[in-house]
Amino acid sequence: MLAAAALCLPLAGASGCAVQTRRIAATPPPGLPRRVEHAGTPFFADDDYYCGPAALATVLTAAGSAVRPQALIGDVFVPGRKGSLQLEMLAGARRHGAVATPIPGTLEALLREIAAGNAVVVLQNLGLTWAPSWHYAVAIGYDLDAGHVLLRSGPIARQALALRTFEHTWARGGHWAFVALPPGRLPATADEPEATRALVAFERSADPQAAVRAYAAALARWPHSLTLAMGLGNAHYAAGEHAAAEQVFRAAAHRHDAPAAYNNLAVLLFERGEREAASLAARHALRQGGPHAGAARKTLEMIESATPAR
Amino acid sequence: MKRLTRLFSLFLMVCLVNVTVIHTARAALIGTEQVARAEAVEQGTSAHARLDALLARADVRAQLERLGVGTDDARERVAALTDEEAALLAQQIENAPAGGIIGAILLVFFVLLVTDILGFTKVYPFTRPIK
Repeated sequence: MLAAAALCLPLAGASGCAVQTRRIAATPPPGLPRRVEHAGTPFFADDDYYCGPAALATVLTAAGSAVRPQALIGDVFVPGRKGSLQLEMLAGARRHGAVATPIPGTLEALLREIAAGNAVVVLQNLGLTWAPSWHYAVAIGYDLDAGHVLLRSGPIARQALALRTFEHTWARGGHWAFVALPPGRLPATADEPEATRALVAFERSADPQAAVRAYAAALARWPHSLTLAMGLGNAHYAAGEHAAAEQVFRAAAHRHDAPAAYNNLAVLLFERGEREAASLAARHALRQGGPHAGAARKTLEMIESATPAR
Repeated sequence: MKRLTRLFSLFLMVCLVNVTVIHTARAALIGTEQVARAEAVEQGTSAHARLDALLARADVRAQLERLGVGTDDARERVAALTDEEAALLAQQIENAPAGGIIGAILLVFFVLLVTDILGFTKVYPFTRPIK
């Protein structure tokens, strides 16, 4: 008993003693179902170091882009570290057509994502801070009355892990979790900066049409965001939809009076032969200075050098 | 010495890339990543920041290859990272958590058995935490 108490003390300090579990048990967050289980979520057994590829394949398949863990090893596994890195897990999901967004590190956010129908990849440290055993699992359900969370985890198809224990292992993994969703669907809990970061990263390796869908959905939720508007315009342009791109850039330019939007509007106007209007937009972008002044100057030079002297 | 050589070759590479960029520079759309960065820090995409990102990418790629990732895979994996991610990963690739499973577990078998039973850890499939 004494030994147990001695062990408990440093652990309690390190992991906050499952306070979130207690809070949720005492005052359940409003609107949260008592029980959820996504029983149809696929399971890829892994008994080795490949929990990263296995967890990723699980959420990608659940999101509709079927892929086997074997095919993901070359994308996310690092042999020298015998595991997969968090940033590469996000990048790996993006490369397979899903938007990967980290969610807030609270038990409530995790449960809300599950309740919203999403499978969540969680990073756990199953061991101790000084003897870590890093592990990716996929949370597919929970039961507040029984007090457990349901995981697809390594070799276990349906692990009912006590919420308290889960919280300890998750806290030691830095409360890190993400959802991977088809473009156009937004996480239930992610905040604007995190969702924006995820979309900008997604655009990098995405099919332009998919990026258009993803940005359009996010802009509908956060209409005041300049970055999302620019993303939507750029995605339209990359998809060859120049008229739609011009419309988005024009709206963003007016709404935010943003040099970046004026610059891109100028390029599009110039490309369809509207030199006067293009020149006006580029000058407006340049007058405002700021980080994009260099690009605006180049745009103006291009327009002027192509305009016949009067 | 080897490190020095690597740094120097990186430096040369960046110089070359920069020269090419300058010579082929023409007007283009401002990318979303540039806008996002400018919005996030209220200061621009200075040449300095871009240089850092370029170095970070080369660094991450070299480190991935050293850790056993094939050349083609490493190239594609680095390409899928944003500048911000590449810079982060370049710093922590050695120490960041790498989810695999079960590290040096035998050493602390009994400690972990006890903590498992207490419900603080979950290393062994056969343990059942006390209520």
